[in-house]
Amino acid sequence: MSVVPMPRMGGVAKSQPGDAILAVDDLVMRFHTPDDVVTAVDHVSFTVAPGEFLSVIGPSGCGKSTLFNAVGGLLTGYEGRITVAGERVSGPHRAIGMVFQEESTFPWRTVIDNVAFPLEIAGMSKAARLERARHFVSLVGLNGFEKRYPAELSGGMRQRVSMARTLASEPKILLMDEPFAALDEQTRLLLGDKVLQIQQDLKQTMLLITHNITEAVQMSDRVLVMTYRPGKVKRIVPIDLPRPRTSDVVGSEAFGRYVAQIWADLREEASRGLQESEARVLHPGTGGHGG
Amino acid sequence: MAETGRLTAASVRAAPRLGSVTLLRIAIIATALLTWELLAASGWLYKDVVPSLIAIAKALFNLLTTRVMACQADIPMGPIHLRWELWMPEFYCHLGRTAREIGLAVLIGGGLGLLVGLVLGANRFLSRAFEPIVYYLGPTPKIIFFPLMIMWFGLGPGSKIAMGAISCFFPVALSAASGVRQIDQVLIRVGKSFRANAWQTTTKIYLPAMRAAIINGLRLGIGIALIGTLLAETKLSNFGIGSLIIQAYSLFDMPRMYATLIVLFVLAIGANTLISRLGHIDPIRSR
Amino acid sequence: MAANGNMTWQKHGPAIVGCAVIATAIAVIELLIRVDLISRFVMPMPSEIAVSFERVIVEENIPRRFLLTAGECFGAGILVTVIGISLGALLHRLPLLRQATETWVGALASAPTVLMYPLFMVIFGRNATTIIMMGFAAGLAPVILKTVEGLSGARRVLINVGRSFNLTERQLFWKILLPAALPTIFVGIRLGLIFALINVVGVEFLINFGGLGQLVAELAERYDLPGTYATICFVILISVLFFMAMEKAERWLRPGA
Repeated sequence: MSVVPMPRMGGVAKSQPGDAILAVDDLVMRFHTPDDVVTAVDHVSFTVAPGEFLSVIGPSGCGKSTLFNAVGGLLTGYEGRITVAGERVSGPHRAIGMVFQEESTFPWRTVIDNVAFPLEIAGMSKAARLERARHFVSLVGLNGFEKRYPAELSGGMRQRVSMARTLASEPKILLMDEPFAALDEQTRLLLGDKVLQIQQDLKQTMLLITHNITEAVQMSDRVLVMTYRPGKVKRIVPIDLPRPRTSDVVGSEAFGRYVAQIWADLREEASRGLQESEARVLHPGTGGHGG
Repeated sequence: MAETGRLTAASVRAAPRLGSVTLLRIAIIATALLTWELLAASGWLYKDVVPSLIAIAKALFNLLTTRVMACQADIPMGPIHLRWELWMPEFYCHLGRTAREIGLAVLIGGGLGLLVGLVLGANRFLSRAFEPIVYYLGPTPKIIFFPLMIMWFGLGPGSKIAMGAISCFFPVALSAASGVRQIDQVLIRVGKSFRANAWQTTTKIYLPAMRAAIINGLRLGIGIALIGTLLAETKLSNFGIGSLIIQAYSLFDMPRMYATLIVLFVLAIGANTLISRLGHIDPIRSR
Repeated sequence: MAANGNMTWQKHGPAIVGCAVIATAIAVIELLIRVDLISRFVMPMPSEIAVSFERVIVEENIPRRFLLTAGECFGAGILVTVIGISLGALLHRLPLLRQATETWVGALASAPTVLMYPLFMVIFGRNATTIIMMGFAAGLAPVILKTVEGLSGARRVLINVGRSFNLTERQLFWKILLPAALPTIFVGIRLGLIFALINVVGVEFLINFGGLGQLVAELAERYDLPGTYATICFVILISVLFFMAMEKAERWLRPGA
């Protein structure tokens, strides 16, 4: 169910399926446990246009992380197609950069060495890669911290390091799985600003997986709402807030309306999820069925 | 997705069949035994160093069943002495003696270690004052204190028990101290918020929370007391498993020495596993 | 200022108390021996022991013995580290082998290997090789176990980062798995080295060969009690130094830990 967004000011060009940099086509992912078959993702299709910011939001258990891993090429064995810039995704793809939810900085490397990691792998010389890495370190606002170790930084700073590291590999699409989940709300909003700024500077295409409505509306051009397991696309909501955006937009009326609209959709799914997880505790072996 | 539990492909993949593991184990053991027997038969190493498996098996049998003797025991319990005399193969008599020595060593050394460890763990000042001493004395081989133990406790079992006790003291103390410190502070705050008194806090919070550390300390303590006591026996004793090993060595009775070592190792490993199982601890991870 | 004084006490107080207690204990023992409450034959006076330090160093050639013992420890240590980590990595690489043998290695770790010293003496003779081998045998198992534990316990997300950058198996191992496992591996090496050290000196004592351990045995046999105590102090010293060196090495090799 792909939706063509309406044209608007200063924003993303009208996207046709041909334009899309990422196309997820009829994705179905089933997991076979010893007792059961669980359908995590059920016939999900959507596209992402170049330079667009798309958020995928849904309750816990809607298959978001499965989607993340599948698009990122870490998960195979699904039905359907995922293509990036025309090429089929069958493993981690050069054009896709992943930012993980958990702490993923290398604790044994300094900040600059962490960020330079993809360049090191690509075989860049030491001087060149340190130079490039410095650029990305300052992009995420961590100048001065190059020689520090992750243990010396706060959680938010470490996530910025992870982000800089992924950006250093200059992916066409930045794929993020709830990168700010472990942070407090204020830090999250401020980092959201940072991400928006980066996106504007680099014209970076971004796909954000999240469960946080504020975050989704704050940053996206479109929000894709998923149902609870089996995960389907419930609705795609175009976010018509002006760009360039900052976290100030959080206070506006239009913002509130978008949040309310998405919550109305989500609430239904989230309740269902809650009920099913409670049922699973009381009667293990039931619930969570797909298909 | 975290609350509903991650369904990863990895968790869903089936575990390797148990059958192949057992087969591999059998294959490894069989190869080892075969290699041994070949070495023994070829005489490539100095002949007696690798006796044939049959010789070892025979020696094992002899060890466990022959040389019956009157085993005497005399246990002082305050004003009374418990005495008895039983007929049994000599091995078990020695085993009994060694076991008694180890038991007392663990009781004394381990008990003291536990106490000291608890105090050091609970009190920061005392810990910083004295724990370094325990920490740095720990890795010293206690066997070198043996001449002193003989001076202080005589040539009999006393010096062996003392040897086992001081070997056992240090690791148990350190284990207990770190165990106390690892207790999640929030649990203690919960106790305080419910106004639990010192005794309740110790028995209902500290000790249960430290279960793993205590079991581990016990396991470690017994293992080390075993080594300390046995080494002392090998150096100077007429009685005990350690002395049996040295006897076999001095007579150059290699099969008998192997047999004694085999039984010893089986018992030591068995005891270790037993304690871990009883305490619900994985013997490998918690080392 | 009172506040400053308080801070100094906070920082150095415990150490001062610790040293003070030891010093007092030594003084008390000295006193008790002088008034014959403790027999001179059981415990020599601390002052005598202090005096014998110099004698022992000069006459018994402590420096050479020190080096000999240290050399044996070093030899055992290298063997334990290299072979232990290699075997650990091998077990990690071959899950079936690991499943089959991990419990055996665990059992080996808790077995009283040192009691095999008569056996090793028969095989290798009464020399340094036996001592090094005994140290090696004692320290090997913990290194293997901790290496396996470290490698398999590397956080999943770090491996995923590597995969997302399309690393080869080799790159994955050297650039991510191994560094992530290093803290745990170090714990294993420390344990292994401690066991190796204990066994080296212990076997020196038992077979009456080698450096410091042998000296203890010899002096005890000669009934030179002050000398025996003095040598024991040297043994403690060597283990303390060893330990500190290990901690320094670890801090140097693992910055940001």
